Amino acid sequence: MNDPHQVHWRSLDEFADPQLAERRGESEFEDTPLRHAEAPGRRDFLRATGFVLAGSAITGCSRAPVRTATPLPTQPEDYWPGRSDQYATICTACSASCGVLAKVRDGRPVKLEGNPDHPLSRGGLCAVGQASILSLYDSHRLGQPHVSGKPSSWEEADRAILTALESIRKQKGAVRILTGTVTSPSLQERIRAFAATFDNARHIVFDPLSSSAILDAHEALFGARVLPRMRFEKAPVVAAFDADFLGTWISPAEFTRGYREARLENGKPSAQAWHTQFESHLSLTGGGAEERVRLAPGQLAHALAALVARLASRAGARSPAVTSPAGALPDKQLDELAARLWNARGRSLVVCGLADVKAQKLCAYANHLLGNYGATLDLERPSLQRQGSDRAMSGLLQEISAGQLGALFVHGLNPAAELPLDKTALEAMCRIPLLVSLSSRTDETAELARFVCPDADPLESWGDAEPVSGTVCIQQPVFRQVGHSRPAMESFAAWSGKPATARDLVRTHWRDSIHPRHGGGLPFEEFWRASLQTGAMEVKPQSRAATALRQEAVEALPAPSAEGMTAVLYAKTGILDGRHAYNPWLQELPDPISKAAWDNYACVSPAKAASLGLADGDLIKITAAGHSIEIPVLIQAGQHDDAVSIALGYGRRESQRFSNPGPKWMYAKPTTGADGLVGVNASCLLRWTPETLAYHRGVQIEKTGRNRELAVTQTHHSLTMPPKLDPGGPPRPIVQETSLVQLSAPAEHKSEAHPELWPRDHQYTGHRWAMAIDLDACSGCSACVVSCQIENNVPVAGRDEVIRNREMHWLRIDRYYSGTPENPRVAHQPMMCQHCEHAPCETVCPVLATVHSSEGLNQQIYNRCVGTRYCANNCPYKVRRFNWFDYPHEDRLVNLVLNPDVTVRSRGVMEKCSFCVQRIQEAKIEAKRLGKPMADGDVAPACQQSCPAQAIVFGDLNDPKSRVSQWAAQARGYRVLEEINVRPSVYYLKVIRRDGEANGGGHHG
Amino acid sequence: MAETGIARQPLIQGGKTLAQVTLDVLKPMERRPGLLWWVAFLASLSLLGLGAVTIAYQVTTGIGTWGLNNTVGWAFDITNFVFWIGIGHAGTLISAILFLFRQRWRTSVNRSAEAMTLFAVMCAGIFPVIHMGRPWMGYWVFPYPNDRGPLWMNFRSPLAWDAFAISTYFIISATFWYIGLIPDLATIRDRSAPGLRRTVFSILSLGWDGSYRTWQRYETVYTLLAGLATPLVVSVHTIVSWDFATSVIPGWHATIFPPYFVAGAIFSGMAMVLTLMIIARKAMHLEEYITHRHVDVMCKLILLTSGIVALAYGTEFFTAQYSANPYEQFVFLNRAMGPMAWSYWIMVSCNVLAPQFLWFKRVRHSLPAVFVITIFINIGMWFERFVIIVTSLHRDYLPSSWSSYSPTPIEIATLIGSFGLFFTLFLLFCRILPVIAIAEVKGVLQHGHAAPGAKAHHEEGRGQQ
Repeated sequence: MNDPHQVHWRSLDEFADPQLAERRGESEFEDTPLRHAEAPGRRDFLRATGFVLAGSAITGCSRAPVRTATPLPTQPEDYWPGRSDQYATICTACSASCGVLAKVRDGRPVKLEGNPDHPLSRGGLCAVGQASILSLYDSHRLGQPHVSGKPSSWEEADRAILTALESIRKQKGAVRILTGTVTSPSLQERIRAFAATFDNARHIVFDPLSSSAILDAHEALFGARVLPRMRFEKAPVVAAFDADFLGTWISPAEFTRGYREARLENGKPSAQAWHTQFESHLSLTGGGAEERVRLAPGQLAHALAALVARLASRAGARSPAVTSPAGALPDKQLDELAARLWNARGRSLVVCGLADVKAQKLCAYANHLLGNYGATLDLERPSLQRQGSDRAMSGLLQEISAGQLGALFVHGLNPAAELPLDKTALEAMCRIPLLVSLSSRTDETAELARFVCPDADPLESWGDAEPVSGTVCIQQPVFRQVGHSRPAMESFAAWSGKPATARDLVRTHWRDSIHPRHGGGLPFEEFWRASLQTGAMEVKPQSRAATALRQEAVEALPAPSAEGMTAVLYAKTGILDGRHAYNPWLQELPDPISKAAWDNYACVSPAKAASLGLADGDLIKITAAGHSIEIPVLIQAGQHDDAVSIALGYGRRESQRFSNPGPKWMYAKPTTGADGLVGVNASCLLRWTPETLAYHRGVQIEKTGRNRELAVTQTHHSLTMPPKLDPGGPPRPIVQETSLVQLSAPAEHKSEAHPELWPRDHQYTGHRWAMAIDLDACSGCSACVVSCQIENNVPVAGRDEVIRNREMHWLRIDRYYSGTPENPRVAHQPMMCQHCEHAPCETVCPVLATVHSSEGLNQQIYNRCVGTRYCANNCPYKVRRFNWFDYPHEDRLVNLVLNPDVTVRSRGVMEKCSFCVQRIQEAKIEAKRLGKPMADGDVAPACQQSCPAQAIVFGDLNDPKSRVSQWAAQARGYRVLEEINVRPSVYYLKVIRRDGEANGGGHHG
Repeated sequence: MAETGIARQPLIQGGKTLAQVTLDVLKPMERRPGLLWWVAFLASLSLLGLGAVTIAYQVTTGIGTWGLNNTVGWAFDITNFVFWIGIGHAGTLISAILFLFRQRWRTSVNRSAEAMTLFAVMCAGIFPVIHMGRPWMGYWVFPYPNDRGPLWMNFRSPLAWDAFAISTYFIISATFWYIGLIPDLATIRDRSAPGLRRTVFSILSLGWDGSYRTWQRYETVYTLLAGLATPLVVSVHTIVSWDFATSVIPGWHATIFPPYFVAGAIFSGMAMVLTLMIIARKAMHLEEYITHRHVDVMCKLILLTSGIVALAYGTEFFTAQYSANPYEQFVFLNRAMGPMAWSYWIMVSCNVLAPQFLWFKRVRHSLPAVFVITIFINIGMWFERFVIIVTSLHRDYLPSSWSSYSPTPIEIATLIGSFGLFFTLFLLFCRILPVIAIAEVKGVLQHGHAAPGAKAHHEEGRGQQ
């Protein structure tokens, strides 16, 4: 038993076969891959792991750039909670692509402000741009792709789309990519690359508010389909034909700034400046013009032709035949205008918004005769803000109806709502084998589409823009993506088979295509960083072959046809083509002219309304070629008797959400109409002509006998009293006017008009904040209204509350007509708390909830207010706003847009303009931190910051050098209701009338 | 003159004995209420309930449930407030001023007029509270000690003055009323069988023993309180008028307001006293206590105050025209001819035209006619406040902010509810306390006086009888 070699057995089997244990041991781990001869063994695995670990440790030592927005569990350097940072990016609310600074507070964007370094908008940002921040926080925005109406994943959607595309590619099917104007060069490149993977693919560009006719006219005249960049800043004399360039046309913020600059000469009102507007519908632009000529829609082009004939005779050039009967046109005004334009050759502009190629050719010819090309019209660096082609769109519609399309991708457009499509056209659209919508919301087109691949919001994704050839800007994300939408650029890249992130796509494009156009010799990284910091860079323009004008292409107009009543479809300030119909701020923004919010309506002239027996709010039926809409009437001064104008962009699916955006109570009425939508979609009245989609069309009008009350924020429209109640005397001196003659007269010494009997209540030893508003510069565009609403967390009250006169806007723009109802003049007066020195509100509050600060601010203390409303009653300016209810704040995503610096007010307290006290405090703290005194301009309230016309200045009245002191001391300076001695801190500069009819006291009645 | 009047026609008719007076006045208290009372009481209580529900809804939901807007910040709320405060004035006038002037016809009506004052002030007091956006913070208008450092109330605000004026008014009126009640409370005590009723009235009558000394002190206190209450007749409505007069709003900013408001208040108060007295007289069989003579005297007072009010209306127009202030001129043209002219003309017809019928003795002696006229005056005086508040606000300085106003059903229900409160309290008062000052009436019965017109003495109307 002591044999060392004795064999131990564990079983009888093993005893029988001593080799069995050994064989079993060999096969014991047979299942593990480590046993496979060809697979790496355990040692190989460890070796490989070690290598990877070491390798990643080494590569990890260099800092990778942060490519995604991340939350801040660890506080980065230079970051303080509670302090806001600003990032330069671009506004994509329309194709004007203005520069914005996104104000990011604690990791979330809370406000968009104009970027003063942007070469086009130069600090201005319109109401739509301001409001577009809400898109980011819109809880109805699609957060993932949808296939056949059901939520899906990107993998699934891409797989299905790619499979479908593959079969189309094999069958050589037609692929069309339909977009609005794409100002992003990177996205354009992506679409081009995507289209290049097919034999029959085309990129169709269409603008719902089209300038196609201008582009077509330039193609015919100059051989290049370009939109010249209009340099209003170089053109003191402007003639505009149906172009609302200060309100809604092409690039209003840029144009407003330019227009304002051209009207000043060395900071003084220019004597040469003149603007004549020819239009049938009273627009924002027309209301402020020196001369407004009210013409029927059909006469506008003929008036232009008549002007061209006059200019041609002065230039001794060929003139196309004038076809209109002479008597129908305002010959005297045209003669004078031609003289003014002729005297300002090279310093004038003739612009035309008509969707009529012949008229646009005439307009171009007029500018050519005036030598404006190269001076005020830039063809070297043309505008890329409108690239759409109506003809291409119409061709696409034919292809759709003929069932020739294999695939249609729709991005940035909503053709089902924006075009006059009947049922068969929509059905044909549904029959397209592959219909993909890239809309971020379930709009009318997305409802038809099998695939909805939502585009990301511009504030959460990379992008770029080239709004004017040679001006490039980067769009940088400032927020982590909400949901799982995907930038369109990435979608097209994925469908081209080359998936990449938007950042890489933009950077690659900039490195390869944009940077080489920059002549400065800056290395790419620096160029990139500089672009990010300033928001825009100038590079060489894309070369375009602009030849000399071919005069023979200018045609005469066809003879006018008697049209009777014509519908004029126009873009309303704030709503534009309807792409922001989801935005409650824009829906509640009163139209600057009609002061109506929440609905569209048919504007009818007072004379026409009287002859048809119509009153405000009467529903009428407007019929054209079998299509009809029912819409309430608004009697609009300045409207041509033969025109009925209706705003586009209403009746949109996205407005379904506004059944009741305001307070909910017993007698609350819904905001939407019977169909659950806000307003009526009037696009069925658009009309295709051979060349364009026309906005004018002959219609019939019928009364229906029913009515729908309109939410109008201003019911009395003039500073003269109603005739029966007029005590006599001049109109109320609330908006005051002056003339150039009065201004050039030797300035009388402005004495203190009201001597004080008592010592001053307030000494104002430090700052004394004050504001000055140039009423001559203010166009009424309402950017300040929305800016103020966002900055100060002003709630949306809803249509019913607006009808009840309880809109909450802290800053409103009062609009007064003067002159005749046929053709009134319009004055806009931004009105907000006047921060009176002898404030009537302060003395009457029983609980001291509104008090005067040592710096002249009238402060409202919300948590002290018990809500007696005595202050509001006693306010001569009626600028105080009461929280009648608790306004809804249930949507937690939307609540992220609230400004953390401003209290959200509860029910039962009074509120009003605070002169953006939070901004004053921020600037004071910053000055203190830096240990230097505050400089003029350190504080810019929200209204001033984004004013495209730069009509508002704010500052310290105790500093005689501040701009506000200088404006206040001007001969034009006055204060509203000075005679009741409340001593307001807001100064207004009188409107300048250049036509010699100014009235020193009141606004003319 | 008054003395000879009394000689010719006694203030109390029917040759009442002292005991009969006690019996007549206390009769409603000492039997079960009749059907008429129950119907009236339940109707008033339902109105009060309606008011309570709407107030609860409005407090929980927001002032937005009223028809107010950014331009018209006050309407029904302050109209009702001023209206009810005005109603209250007649009580104080009758009880204090007429007492000091020894107008002995007041004895039949002063008790109920004072009760009316108290109830009207209660109704009025509701509105400044509920009209606040945050009524639960309403106590901030009082200067109570707090830990908020220098943050106190604003002594410059007329609304703060209001708070003092009304609370003072209520306290003085209630005290005055209570002091006047004491001899009668003792009478009730003495007539009650031992039990709860007797205990309660024993406590309330403060150990009244009807002794000469008690009477003397009582008289002194009563006269002193009358002296204290007298300035209130003028001050309360003067202060209420300052809510408007100290503002900058055309149509409010008027120095005529204090006398105009005081006259209006007495006018409306007298009308309301008459309305109530005519009903109570009939319902409670007090024809012999509230005689045609009482009605006649009050009608003359109404005629006088109507004249003052009419003069004020005219003066306002003259001042506006003479001021050459276009805003002021416009407000008055707008009142008379603007979109709310209907309210102005209701006011003028009810307050200036309707009382003119009272020049005729036949009308003054026809109770139905007087009743109808007083109802018109009540309506007219409500509209006076509505006109002042709403028509001045709805179209002031900037035409851009002009708006209109129409009440919501919630607002109308609060007004109705305040009437419900008023009548509920009044009906309870009729059941619980003597509606006529027994002790004082006994003083004017002229028992024990040989010579007519001799001075009445309270000793003769001893509570124990």
